[in-house]
Amino acid sequence: MPEITPFLKSLLSVAGISSYETPVTQLIEKKWRPLVDETRLSRIGSLEALKRGSGPEPRPSIMVATHMDAIGMMVTSIADGFLHFTQVGGIDPRILPGTPVIVHASASGEELPGIVVMPPARALPASVGDGVLGLEHLLIDVGLLPEEVAAKVRTGDLVSFATEPKELAGEVISGHTLDNRASVAVLTVALEELQNKSHAWDVWAVATVQEEVSLGGAFTSAFGLRPQIAVAIDVTFAKGPGANDWQTVPLGKGPTLTMGPNIHPYLFKKFEELAKNLEIPYQTEVTPRHTGTDGYATQVAAEGIPTMVIGIPLRYMHTPVELVALKDIQRAGRLLAEFIASLEPDFVEKIVWED
Amino acid sequence: MKQLLQKLTETFSPSGYEAAIREVIRAEVEPLADEIRVDALGNLIVRKGPSTGSEQAKKIMVAAHMDEIGLIASHIDENGFIRFTTIGGVYPQMLMGARVRFYNGIPGILYTEPLDAPTDTPSIEKMFIDVGAKSRADCPIKIGEVAAFERPFLDLGDRLVAKSMDDRIGCLVAIEALRALKSTPNEVYFVFTTQEEVGTRGAETSAFGLDPDLGFSLDVTGWGDTPGRKHFDIALGKGPAIKIKDGGMLSDPRIIQWMVKTAEANGIPYQREVLLGGTTDARAMQLVRAGVPVGCISIPCRYVHSPSEMVDYNDVQNAVKLTVALLENSVEL
Repeated sequence: MPEITPFLKSLLSVAGISSYETPVTQLIEKKWRPLVDETRLSRIGSLEALKRGSGPEPRPSIMVATHMDAIGMMVTSIADGFLHFTQVGGIDPRILPGTPVIVHASASGEELPGIVVMPPARALPASVGDGVLGLEHLLIDVGLLPEEVAAKVRTGDLVSFATEPKELAGEVISGHTLDNRASVAVLTVALEELQNKSHAWDVWAVATVQEEVSLGGAFTSAFGLRPQIAVAIDVTFAKGPGANDWQTVPLGKGPTLTMGPNIHPYLFKKFEELAKNLEIPYQTEVTPRHTGTDGYATQVAAEGIPTMVIGIPLRYMHTPVELVALKDIQRAGRLLAEFIASLEPDFVEKIVWED
Repeated sequence: MKQLLQKLTETFSPSGYEAAIREVIRAEVEPLADEIRVDALGNLIVRKGPSTGSEQAKKIMVAAHMDEIGLIASHIDENGFIRFTTIGGVYPQMLMGARVRFYNGIPGILYTEPLDAPTDTPSIEKMFIDVGAKSRADCPIKIGEVAAFERPFLDLGDRLVAKSMDDRIGCLVAIEALRALKSTPNEVYFVFTTQEEVGTRGAETSAFGLDPDLGFSLDVTGWGDTPGRKHFDIALGKGPAIKIKDGGMLSDPRIIQWMVKTAEANGIPYQREVLLGGTTDARAMQLVRAGVPVGCISIPCRYVHSPSEMVDYNDVQNAVKLTVALLENSVEL
């Protein structure tokens, strides 16, 4: 089994905030290039990698979308050397005070280390002083004098998490941006497995941009590539402290196969059959509305694309200490590779609704 | 330019009912256009430059929305009072005592049912429009007719005030840029879009139809330079704003660079905009088809979505200069 952890850790060590994905795009492109036939960038920056199938032309294609963008922060204004900021994507503000960050200072081109700080309670309105502070009350301190900050940092500069990835006991990894670099690792595992398997279909492995703000990469790549089917892989809520059993799934018990209106039931059925046959641990997850994943975009792109969504259980969503079981990554990667290899040239004709 | 702005802002055209403003704009741009047409959703599409560009030439879409926020009559009671709902983001505190004008020219005033306390803000549901009718039969307005704020244009020197500055000021910048753009190697489409205020709908379909290589919108942004405003670095008179982020979109970093470099090379003042709420036509353009690199040039505007929106004339002129400078040369992102 190929060892994916070092690559995953490298993915967790760069920023790549939505719309500014280039640092992570480069890492992924370098890793995928030897595994595929060609790579290219979409018009808005998604990495589209083609691994050609062996079936007769015109060959159907499957698109696998794993978003590579990260949530982060952006400077809104500077006051006395402290930075006010807003979020790019959704951030849980409760965890921010004390968090180490990197300020990508555009005027000087430096990466300034900083920390998120909060004013003392007495300096805040009585209504919020002792409670959890919203983003509008938090600041970033980079340790410089006000005039130095003014010379280096500008409104609109990016701020990324500086938390280092950490392997914990129990084959678990923690870090920022496991949402959704864990799924990029899944797709990478699948591409590696496919090196030794024949597959009839073309495979478009896509590391999408801007999922955290608009699902923009998935909408546009699905439209541009026009695959016959699409699979989105994204993280899902694993059971953590205080969580119940009906809104979360256990960590480390396998990836989830999602059911619901966003998912084509035939694809779900095929994935489940395959997982059972191969004895790959999996869980089922029901999402009655928006899956909150790239799959929501691929389903309605162009004339519509039958879509499957696979979840990687993750704790502490949208914090700098997200947490994933490495086993779930390997399992999902293997299941995906097996599914792709199982696609017969006439699979599309077999897709049926069972009303 | 101020005269044209007065004409643009004193025209009544809420979302979905852009025919009146479209005719005003068409009269201005027709002599300047290499091609002009109206699409199925009412967008006015004006081409400048070659229609089949060379390899280097880019197809560029520049969107300014011509619709405005407004009201629509939903019920007329037996005494001739009109109940209504809103078109786009109309705040009730802006409506108390306001005057509106219906699309057919009929003026009306707004008031409310009695409130628990006279200092309360009424909800839209409690408010009604009085057009002077004495009964339902006497009321000149039918259910479904639309109205917009009535407020004359005000010239305060550098500062200009009007209703529907959002986004007739963007329309003005587009018209004046078209006038000043003597030639371009690019295939430029100025699109005066419809239905922005109800969800950037005209931009979405016109961008799909045009399939541009890149684009930007011209729209208003908020302000941070009046009492009590915090953490928003935009002031009137400090130049047009180059959008980095708003509530619905992150501008393409390549477009931001292009705009910043062009502004600096031409000595045009600009501000860097990180807007927390709201978005523009560029959001829709970005996600059309296989994706479009987009950005936005914003005109700082105080009191957005009130009947008295204020801009700075210098910002407007600099926005025109920046737009022309962006379009007159070949573009390499």
